[in-house]
Amino acid sequence: MKSPPFDYCKPAALGEVFALLGELGDDARILAGGQTLMATLNMRLSEPSILIDITGLSELRGIRVQGDRLYIGALATHTDIEQSPLVAQHAPLLAQAAPHIAHRAIRNAGTWGGSIAYGDPAAEWPCCLSALEGTIHLQGRAGVRRVSATDFFQDLYTTALEPGEIVVGADVPLATAADWAGFDELARRHGDYAVAGLGISARFQGTVAHRVHLSFLGIGPIPLRARRTEALLAGKTLDTASIEIAVASLKSELDPLPDLTHTADTKRHLATVLARRLLQAAHASRAAMPA
Amino acid sequence: MAPLHTLQVEVNGQDQVLSVQPRQHLVDFLRNELGLKGSHLGCEHGVCGACTVEVDGRIVRGCLTLAIQTQGCKVRTIEGLSNDGDVRDLQESFIRNNALQCGFCTPGMVMAAKELLERKPDATREEVREWMSGNYCRCTGYHAIVDAICETLAERAAKSQKVKA
Amino acid sequence: MDLTGEITLDAPRRQVWDALNDPGVLAACIPGCESVEVVSPTEKTARVMIKVGPVRARFSGRILLSDIVDAESCSMSFDGSGGAAGMARGKSEVQLFDEADQRTRLRYTVQASVAGKLGQVGGRMIDAAAKQMADQFFAAFRAQLAPDAGEVKASSVVADLPGPALTSDQSRSRGAGTTHASEHGLRMKWFTLGALSCAIVIWLGSRFY
Repeated sequence: MKSPPFDYCKPAALGEVFALLGELGDDARILAGGQTLMATLNMRLSEPSILIDITGLSELRGIRVQGDRLYIGALATHTDIEQSPLVAQHAPLLAQAAPHIAHRAIRNAGTWGGSIAYGDPAAEWPCCLSALEGTIHLQGRAGVRRVSATDFFQDLYTTALEPGEIVVGADVPLATAADWAGFDELARRHGDYAVAGLGISARFQGTVAHRVHLSFLGIGPIPLRARRTEALLAGKTLDTASIEIAVASLKSELDPLPDLTHTADTKRHLATVLARRLLQAAHASRAAMPA
Repeated sequence: MAPLHTLQVEVNGQDQVLSVQPRQHLVDFLRNELGLKGSHLGCEHGVCGACTVEVDGRIVRGCLTLAIQTQGCKVRTIEGLSNDGDVRDLQESFIRNNALQCGFCTPGMVMAAKELLERKPDATREEVREWMSGNYCRCTGYHAIVDAICETLAERAAKSQKVKA
Repeated sequence: MDLTGEITLDAPRRQVWDALNDPGVLAACIPGCESVEVVSPTEKTARVMIKVGPVRARFSGRILLSDIVDAESCSMSFDGSGGAAGMARGKSEVQLFDEADQRTRLRYTVQASVAGKLGQVGGRMIDAAAKQMADQFFAAFRAQLAPDAGEVKASSVVADLPGPALTSDQSRSRGAGTTHASEHGLRMKWFTLGALSCAIVIWLGSRFY
């Protein structure tokens, strides 16, 4: 299928982007990596009148440490994040999640900002931002706003973005020596949209988990934090007994939405498989560390 | 109809200046405007990998890239890669291992494998399989393709050992 | 895709029923609705712009009502075309039940399928998207009912009667979709019964005194 006809522009300044969005509303679409948008247009599931290419805006690029946060600009590609030494050091959860995103050719073009702005229920970056309690930076004519990940992802494909705003970047806290991060997802084939995925960010004192964040993707319309189960794990060593308590808790806490190929029960089960795997890995990692 | 835009792009080492419709994607541009038929279209929504081409040294889905987005870039197709000789050993390994039958997926496979050879020279068989999972093949059953890539990895590793020694 | 749900609305059953059948109300509540037109008491056409994630698809569709039990329940079948995007078709059932304090419980079931590219590409999202649209519809529907609730309470004498007051056989014989005629008929029936029972009591009374 071929795209319907549309016009194209590549603004040199953010102000131009906001002016165009203000004038054209939803008839204009933002083009960054285009890995979701172009597939949509090729299948004629949308017929905008113009694409606004934002890849010329250098202020949306870059990965850098800013104070006690790691800031990633909206135009960072998934490959940039996958290969970044700063990310590996300061946000290892993101480095673990990146190889799960689609395939290399798509990672070379798709962007951090695009994934965040769409907020697909099976997307990796919203899940990680939710686990790390990151902050999303939005900008429109009125200026810059910062919204916590918890407040940003609201409903199916519905975020805190107002009309006329774009995601300009997002930051996450810097990982410390006491932190452990783990990510895994289950898909029918590598690179498919995941059936279920889990990002864990945990802070330890020795082998005792101080606080644990369990953020699931593919279970609900937005990243799902299993807060009741998180509370049960706080202050515990992640031994077999604690993990089984957590798994039992997840079985009652999670209420997954089914999809065409998986029932709610299957998704619930897969979520517990991921929880077991990652919690065991966390424990093994901390137990192996010198006291 | 939307106005045409002027596109200036280097393709396989040659500068091209043409007028394009904004909606034309890169593979249609390469095939229809430049006669480079080596890049193929399978699904046209980024899933099958038959359209894989190289833009500024990185593989991308040609069907998900607008021609106009390659303004000022260096694009390389299977024709250019082949002529440059970068992956002669990989191509010979493909033939030796019978890693192509109808050949439709092959240009995409070779482009994807090229980036693996560059970026993950010590990839295991499992890592090769994961990397190549973005390219579909209807004929071979994939094993021959993975064999061919692993063989090339091994050959290159042996060669660089020899050079070191 | 199967979806069921139940909500309680702060309005009597008759008002909820009338609102559900009002093309103006539907147009205001269906997410992305651009127009609703009445073709006949049992047929409506609608144009809806579906916006889910990156998708923007304009659907033109037809809604056919059947198995209408006035102010109680009905079945709806719908089919729509989204042009290049694909097609959707399905059935839904709506049932209304009286609740205390002039409220109504609405129960709905939907079975739907989406074909074409939207179904192929969006298949994994259909359940979640349908649920979101249903939630949005009922939130808007609730808001539509709220400003009128006070007004209608006084005049809905008929709806106050115990019941579902009519069996489905009786209402079908009255004819589908009739509203004021059946209301009036019902009022007459109870008035007559009331008058008759008063007359009997008085006659009996007079016998004994």
